[in-house]
Amino acid sequence: MKNVIAFIEHKHGTIRRSSLEAATQARALADQLGGKAHAVVAGDGAQQAAATLKKYPLDQIHVSDEDRFIDGAVDAVEFVAKAAGPSLVLVGNTMIGRDVGSRFAARVDCGVNADVVEFKTEGGEVSCVMPKLGGLVITTCKLTGSDYGVAAIRPNVFAAKETSGAGEIVQIASSGKASTVTVEDEVDEAAAELGVEEASVVVSGGRGMGGPEPFTTILKDLAEAFGGAVGASRAAVDAGWVSHGHQVGQTGKTISPQLYIAVGISGAIQHKVGMRTSETIVAINKDGNAPIAEFADLLVAGDAFAIVPELTKLVRDAKAVHA
Amino acid sequence: MCPEVPPLKILVTVKLVPDTNADKRIDPATKRLVRTGVETVLNPFDEYAIEAALQLKEKLNDGSTVTIVSMTPVSGKEIVRKALAMGADDAVMLSDDAVAGSDLWGTAVALAATIKAQSPDLVITGTQSTDAISGDLPGMLAEKLGYPGLTYARKLEVDGGRVRVQRETETGYMTISAALPAVVSVTKSANEPRYPSLKGIMGAKKKEIKQLAVADLGLTVAVGTDGAKAQLTDLATPPARAKGQVIQAPDPAEGAKAIVQFLKDRKFL
Repeated sequence: MKNVIAFIEHKHGTIRRSSLEAATQARALADQLGGKAHAVVAGDGAQQAAATLKKYPLDQIHVSDEDRFIDGAVDAVEFVAKAAGPSLVLVGNTMIGRDVGSRFAARVDCGVNADVVEFKTEGGEVSCVMPKLGGLVITTCKLTGSDYGVAAIRPNVFAAKETSGAGEIVQIASSGKASTVTVEDEVDEAAAELGVEEASVVVSGGRGMGGPEPFTTILKDLAEAFGGAVGASRAAVDAGWVSHGHQVGQTGKTISPQLYIAVGISGAIQHKVGMRTSETIVAINKDGNAPIAEFADLLVAGDAFAIVPELTKLVRDAKAVHA
Repeated sequence: MCPEVPPLKILVTVKLVPDTNADKRIDPATKRLVRTGVETVLNPFDEYAIEAALQLKEKLNDGSTVTIVSMTPVSGKEIVRKALAMGADDAVMLSDDAVAGSDLWGTAVALAATIKAQSPDLVITGTQSTDAISGDLPGMLAEKLGYPGLTYARKLEVDGGRVRVQRETETGYMTISAALPAVVSVTKSANEPRYPSLKGIMGAKKKEIKQLAVADLGLTVAVGTDGAKAQLTDLATPPARAKGQVIQAPDPAEGAKAIVQFLKDRKFL
């Protein structure tokens, strides 16, 4: 593989952070492989997204105005990949990113590596490092047997850096194809917020929260003080206190923020496998002997309902001093 | 009068995975999961797919059927039977050493061929497995089958030859629809999977589990370890996290202060 193609996910022109990470990483990998760094953006708002991509170190930014949901994006990536020749396609490991990457891989019969946290290149070959089995093992898989390969990068692991890039904007001609899937409507139920996968600080609540209220009050306040996101354990999600999108763990999301604050979470294996790769883990729990003590960097045993608001206040004060 | 719509043949793909709570290991020699001594279970995500299929069948109540499809060694038969005990009608297993060690691509190729041979109207999958956690198979199956792919569905309905789903998004949902046949992956928010009833367990013993081999599928490409396009070259155990500090904080203000000091030491504040 020689070239690297970053698929850019966006909502009406606003690019997801994981896609900016893919765009930045595309340059680094293309340099290692001796090829070019491309970006592909499709759908409503693609032109606006392309303008943003001008700030990233890309050689070419390919724009498709066709708004055909996943189909249009896969067609655009395929078109660019076929024109570029042997290439690695980077997508964010998000719902849309996975759909586009997996469909492209199936279409061109190439390998796909999911949840990539590190790349290794050697002699034009690309290997991906991925935690599997909830971080119990770290696997390395080489993409082989095809001119192409797909890597879905774990959000929040690779840096997104604006540089003085000046990628050439290239328009992809309309294919005139119809979409196999009809989008009937799109409904926002919550304000756009940072997801747990992308936040650098995650404040999660568990069974110890006792109900839905703390998720929209004390936990949310603490998360906001850090500019982070609210997460939850399976117990809290299954009890209906908070939606599944917030769940961290085996049947939820696997994340690696810089700071993970677990409040009222005992630390069962189910939860541990979703957050054990966090850089720093702080737990607040009434029981100092909870299983989470075995892998948290700091466990404060006490009344979370009193500690969390106090902590929020101190964090805000500390941030205000630096501001 | 509504036009007559024939009953649906609904397929549900299931994977067998090591128990969520088991201490899973990979054999350094074969680089495959060691399954001995570890209980194998139905992938928890697939239970939502089975439940969605059963609810659809019950709602249609027109003779529509649910067939379980799984790529698994013969030893997985009794676990496949659990899906039958939940209420599925029959099952097809692709059991062949030639598919062992398949990567995502090989799995998609072999599973799509198995599915195609059943001529389904609707294929329902979970969103991901608890061992590989890639979430890529539903999209790959849709592509390989040439069916529309409607992924991350939290609600699903079929009407007049079309399937309509509420696809989860980061901030809510999208309503998307497509003509059948189609592939739909359902999320955990879709339903609450049922437990097999005693009657279901007894009945499942009589249900047919058809076993297929790669030779039955007419595959023209090699799958399994040799055909893998994502080849496992190394695996390592990450360093264990050291046990950290535990502070008793009967006074909440002191507890909060201790955390802030810790965060300052680590340059978070």
